[in-house]
Amino acid sequence: MRMPIPKISRHAIWAVVIALALTFLCFRSGLDFDYVIPKRLARLLAMLIGGVCVAWSSITFQTITGNRILTPAIMGYEAVYLLLQSLLVLIMGTQSLVMLGANGNFALSVLLMLGYSWAIHRWLFRDGRNNVYFLLLLGLVLTMVIGTFTQFVQFKVSPGEFSVLLGFSQASFGKAEPGQLVVSAILVAVVCITALKTLPTLDVLALGRDQAVSLGVDYQRTVRLYLALIAVLVAVSTSLLGPTAFMGIFVANTTYALARTFRHRITLPTGCAIAIAIFILAQLAVEHVFNYRTTVGILVNLVCGAWFLALMVRTRGTA
Amino acid sequence: MRAGLLGLFFMLCCASLLIGAQQMAWSQVWSLSGDAWLTLTASRLPRLAALVLTGVGLSVCGVILQHIVRNKFVEPATSGGLDAAKLGILVALTVAPGTGTAGRMLFALAFCFAASLIFVAIVRRIRFKNTILVPVIGLMYGGVLSAVAEFYAYRHNVLQSMQGWLLGDFSKIVQGNYEIVYLILPIVALAYLYAHRFTVLGMGEGMATSLGLNYPATVALGLMLVAVTVSVTVITVGAIPFIGLVIPNLVALHYGDNLGRTLPVVALGGASLLLACDILGRLLIYPFEVPIGLTAGGIGGVLFLVLIFWRNR
Repeated sequence: MRMPIPKISRHAIWAVVIALALTFLCFRSGLDFDYVIPKRLARLLAMLIGGVCVAWSSITFQTITGNRILTPAIMGYEAVYLLLQSLLVLIMGTQSLVMLGANGNFALSVLLMLGYSWAIHRWLFRDGRNNVYFLLLLGLVLTMVIGTFTQFVQFKVSPGEFSVLLGFSQASFGKAEPGQLVVSAILVAVVCITALKTLPTLDVLALGRDQAVSLGVDYQRTVRLYLALIAVLVAVSTSLLGPTAFMGIFVANTTYALARTFRHRITLPTGCAIAIAIFILAQLAVEHVFNYRTTVGILVNLVCGAWFLALMVRTRGTA
Repeated sequence: MRAGLLGLFFMLCCASLLIGAQQMAWSQVWSLSGDAWLTLTASRLPRLAALVLTGVGLSVCGVILQHIVRNKFVEPATSGGLDAAKLGILVALTVAPGTGTAGRMLFALAFCFAASLIFVAIVRRIRFKNTILVPVIGLMYGGVLSAVAEFYAYRHNVLQSMQGWLLGDFSKIVQGNYEIVYLILPIVALAYLYAHRFTVLGMGEGMATSLGLNYPATVALGLMLVAVTVSVTVITVGAIPFIGLVIPNLVALHYGDNLGRTLPVVALGGASLLLACDILGRLLIYPFEVPIGLTAGGIGGVLFLVLIFWRNR
């Protein structure tokens, strides 16, 4: 086993994150503590929560499936979320937003994803063997079918409703409301504390199913627990920010490269720091470079996707 | 089996001619003028031709791509081809708005061809342990391309109309704006002419080269055929998923991978499936219609899932 990176450079990542956060808060703010900075604080909190969600869910998911290229986003979680939003707008129009309120919509999304996660779990271990590739294909097909359907809905609705839908289907930090932020923060905190207690088990799971079982882990139960936790995290991040697509793959793999270990006590915090740093950088670029003429989601997809592809080609990576 | 497929195809063609929002008095058709004749020649026949050609083109181009990449789960939608064509059209619209269909077609063609070349290069460079990961990489690649397109579209505020012309829809096909689709005919002829070479291509680079095949040239030819078909279909009808995925897989299950023999079956199957999807789309909320992108996505998706289940057994 290779040595984990020294503590100093791990701290350096967090130092970078803090520096970025301060830049984000104060840059061109005129130090206006009445309006500008509180608003920015809310967005910063959304980024923190989103970053933790994306990194945490991707890394745990990859550990469970034993694959470095799968993330919840690819497995169809985000497609399910987008389908829900499109259906709501198609059936009830923009009134659905008023009727449900931000929290109602949020609760519905979480419930739906928990349901999907339960279905995934049923499928994964139906025959007692690991059907993860089969499931991946299922997720891909589902994403494509739902994508077509969403496209149809987006085509059907009026431009006003489309712009509402666009708010859901593009990642951005501006739409999070304080109440939703608090609820999300509590949920994420609960999930993280639950997960922190069982981190050593997660390390054992990374060895693979057979090893884990022979080391005395209740495999089924643990995996079920983690899939549920992942569902909550994905639901929080998608309803808070919108779909982040390939961000998860990028964050997880950069984390493995930087941390040079697979121990979750180290990879999880590092992953969170990387994800938060990327989000802050993207948001800074959107606000100050592109002047709101693009969105965080587009930027993240563009840069992370391109970088990851380049990485795979350059290192002749085996996927 | 083949005769059955042919019969089914003709039945579907007739059904496609008979269905439409405009009630036709068929007795008048024989006078070769009047309303019924106009409906037939200006709308029903062009639509039928476009449907058949698109179905044939999509399934043939799926099968060629699958032989080049040597993976059964690849089609233009899962290899970035569609996204590249979309990007090409977008660039054509903003850079040279006055060029018309031919200009857009050229841009889409160039982008799609370049993107396919890059995709093949990526796939050849990365060694995959599992075949399902190839389409994942393809989707990711497509995601990057479509992020570029969205970046561009968001700035010019054309995101919604972009979604509009990307969704496959045959209702706009009337005489005068679909003729470009006939470009698929020579493509299919070429594909058939080179069918044996594509079969050998599917055996891998080493085998193909030792059998005397010019590997790079054949790959380039195949990708060119795919790029032309994709850009033509995206320009005339929009994106239609799954046809290029389901039909080649079904045919390969029954007839194997010898393209010289299976290509006609693939072509007929593709046309029949697309016709069936279109008829369903026209009947579901008659006299309005559901875009074919949706019905093909639904039916194709379900068929594909059944196929995977069946193979997994």
